[in-house]
Amino acid sequence: MPSSVDMKAREQALNVFWSRFKLLIESILRGEEPTLEIPKRTLSNTIYDEARKLLLLGPQKLTRKLFDAHEARKFMQTILMAKIIYEALLNNEYPTIRDLYYRGKHTIVFRDHKGRIKEENTWDEQKESDSVIRDLEVFLGVLREEMLILSKEKGKVVGNMRIRSGDDIIDLSKMGHGAYAIEPTPDLIEFIDVDAEYVLVIEKDAVFQQLHRIGFWKKHRAILITSAGQPDRATRRFVRRLNEELKLPVYILTDADPYGWYIYSVFKIGSITLSYESERLATPTARFIGVSMTDIYGDSEKKKKPYLTDRERRHYIIKAKPADIKRAKELMNYKWFQTKQWIKEINIFLNKKSKLEIEALASKGLRFLSDKYIPEKIETKDWIE
Amino acid sequence: MSEVFKSLSPAEFFYRNREIAGFSNPARALYQTVRELVENALDATEVHGIFPLIRVYVERDSNPSHFTITVEDNGIGIPPQYVPQAFGQVLFSSKYRLRQTRGMFGLGAKMAILYGQITTGKPVEVITSPLNSKRIYMFKLMIDIKRNKPIVLEKSSWPKKKNWHGTIVSVSIEGDWSRAKSRIIEYIRRVALITPYAEIIFQGPDNTYLHYTRVVAKLPKPPKEVLPHPYGVDLEAVKMMIASTNEKNLIDFLTKSFQGIGRIIAEKFLKEAGFDPDRDPKSLNIDEIKVLVNKLKSFNEFKPPRADPLSPIGAELIAIGLKQILKPEFVVAITRRPAVYEGHPFIVEVGVAYGGSVPQVQEPILYRYANKIPLLYDEKSDVLWKIISTFDWHQYGITFPAPLAVLIHICSTKIPYKGVGKESIADVPEIEREVKNALREAGRKLRTYIQRKRKLEETYRKLTLFVRYIPEIAQGLEVLSINPKSKKKELSSDVIVDKLISILSNKLENVNITKDLINKIVVAIE
Repeated sequence: MPSSVDMKAREQALNVFWSRFKLLIESILRGEEPTLEIPKRTLSNTIYDEARKLLLLGPQKLTRKLFDAHEARKFMQTILMAKIIYEALLNNEYPTIRDLYYRGKHTIVFRDHKGRIKEENTWDEQKESDSVIRDLEVFLGVLREEMLILSKEKGKVVGNMRIRSGDDIIDLSKMGHGAYAIEPTPDLIEFIDVDAEYVLVIEKDAVFQQLHRIGFWKKHRAILITSAGQPDRATRRFVRRLNEELKLPVYILTDADPYGWYIYSVFKIGSITLSYESERLATPTARFIGVSMTDIYGDSEKKKKPYLTDRERRHYIIKAKPADIKRAKELMNYKWFQTKQWIKEINIFLNKKSKLEIEALASKGLRFLSDKYIPEKIETKDWIE
Repeated sequence: MSEVFKSLSPAEFFYRNREIAGFSNPARALYQTVRELVENALDATEVHGIFPLIRVYVERDSNPSHFTITVEDNGIGIPPQYVPQAFGQVLFSSKYRLRQTRGMFGLGAKMAILYGQITTGKPVEVITSPLNSKRIYMFKLMIDIKRNKPIVLEKSSWPKKKNWHGTIVSVSIEGDWSRAKSRIIEYIRRVALITPYAEIIFQGPDNTYLHYTRVVAKLPKPPKEVLPHPYGVDLEAVKMMIASTNEKNLIDFLTKSFQGIGRIIAEKFLKEAGFDPDRDPKSLNIDEIKVLVNKLKSFNEFKPPRADPLSPIGAELIAIGLKQILKPEFVVAITRRPAVYEGHPFIVEVGVAYGGSVPQVQEPILYRYANKIPLLYDEKSDVLWKIISTFDWHQYGITFPAPLAVLIHICSTKIPYKGVGKESIADVPEIEREVKNALREAGRKLRTYIQRKRKLEETYRKLTLFVRYIPEIAQGLEVLSINPKSKKKELSSDVIVDKLISILSNKLENVNITKDLINKIVVAIE
């Protein structure tokens, strides 16, 4: 028996689909060319709202026509995907994006203009069907979680808190050596009680496990979360809710390299590909706690000493690759990285051409990481906004 | 040249220089023999209003390197009294004449007979019956090389039972079928290409059998004999004309022996050239004739040469021939208006075949013809090759590789051959210009065709693209029309299909779209 929150979400989604596609059907019956107007999901249509510090979708729209040689296939894919999702909603199903890919993937056998028999798949890779799902999200203004589409769980959480998921109550302090996998529909989670002072989000799953096993969250009264690399939407939404509803400060710990920095910025202000969801997913007050370039090299301006000795630096530092340098230069072009602190970080990186993984700090000693580095950084407010 | 003639008979001279006439080796000799006899056969038929029916047999003799070539035509036949000279005497010719024919005074056939006589020792056998004759005549002849006289070995005649007329010539020569085979087959094919009004049957020694049927009941306009034009004669020609004229003064000689010279112009010319109009032409000495020839060439008030002696194939027949032999999807043929080089009238014809069964090639396939004779050898040194290989095909919508074949026919009272082999045409600016203009003319029509085809193809390409998705869209919208409360469909996919077809029909104006088309384009959804 589906939970009542589910049923309500389902009904809302069905209504949006039905009324929106009714407009398309009516225009076709009037003899108009089948046309869909969809907000553009491109970098040029991504706007950085400086006041709210969020990446938002701009006003540009694309017109997708069935009888346009460049758009015909995409149009077909959009209708096909809408049909499959609508059917799933009607049948009380919870498809994953992988399911949707398989349900819609079939072969059209046709005769081409020269009479030759050819075959075309409705879509070949999941990348294509995923892209159409995103188009439908922005076209309908309904997120895929609200369409009850599931995705692989990636984020994990432990800490001293209890939540209700479905009809069960789960104690996140009693997960043993494991952790609670953040469900794909975090909006359907209810927070019951929590005893924590802050949220620590760690890029690397392995470091998350190490800190969990030595009881970091108990000792420091933290909610410990890992995104295991690039954060999925559920993890971002979960972090956002902890911050917004429970007023917990959020600290983010990543590798000291451009990819780590971008993960931080995705948590904080949103991503370019999913800018239409930033309003619900981003945590604008999230802080980058490290590992920063000044943690490695020190900061003479602020009289800050490095956390690593010369010898440790020689051991732990990795030479930056050309791709890292290129990515760093790209980040410098993004408005949200054009702050004094970030410019300093990126310049040190470009200057030293070196990067560092969080694991390096753990190698220096897990205790160093858990009892010195993290607490001291928070204590001294040595973070980047 | 005249010195050589003093010590050698013409027959001996030609025999000693047989490679000039194309008899340099057994393979080439076999090819050349077939060619000479076939061309004589065509000249005996179409020029006289007869649809040619030509049978060609090449048989291997008991000596495996000897072959007998027999060519039979349904032409006008040869009066029996002329047969010995016509086949047994080199440079035999009843009168001086000027018109376009394939062979020149049947010289080539006599070379074949001479060559056969030397290599196999066998005589030529001729069976002929003129148009209105009641009898059939048979001759076996050889040529007395030293004396340039025919030797009749055997001669007979019998009454005709059926209404047959024509000539059958059999020559035995030393040949090389395996090396000549592909050229001979290609030669027959190229003859058939420009003679769609002829039936041609070929049988070779190894069961090679070709049969080209007549596909059109139309003959090219036959050439008319005309007088020579003053720009086109040389010293030898004028000497011969003077020798054979009966006119007693220069003014009559000029007006009666040449085309394009009226009385007033003749008087004006003779005055300017400094000749007495009343002078007997036979009294001119060699130096005076030289002066006369030069003055004739430089005087610019004669009328241009007439094109009457020319017999172009005609654009219609070229197009039919190309279609029949090459099976292209598009063909265009052009016959240019007559033009003149060095006093000789000429006409350029061009045919272009594109697509269909024409093979994809990096350079156009070239079919060269001179006075309706296919030219197979020395292609790359021919001015026609130079022209088509440097022609800007791209401008006419062709990007190689492309399925393109080009036929070029030059007809003239004098073809400017390059060298003595008579297999390639020399660079003559006037001819080059005409060929280029003809190619441009044909090219423009080809371009229009290609553009129209591409446009239509593009429309069909789009059509198949759009139509291929219609079933998918219609099914999708049918599901999306289910009312979430009542769970009932509010629309059927058939209605959507009909509506989408009518919208698409309005958009793509020049194609007719029906519901059937969807089933034709969308084979299955799997």
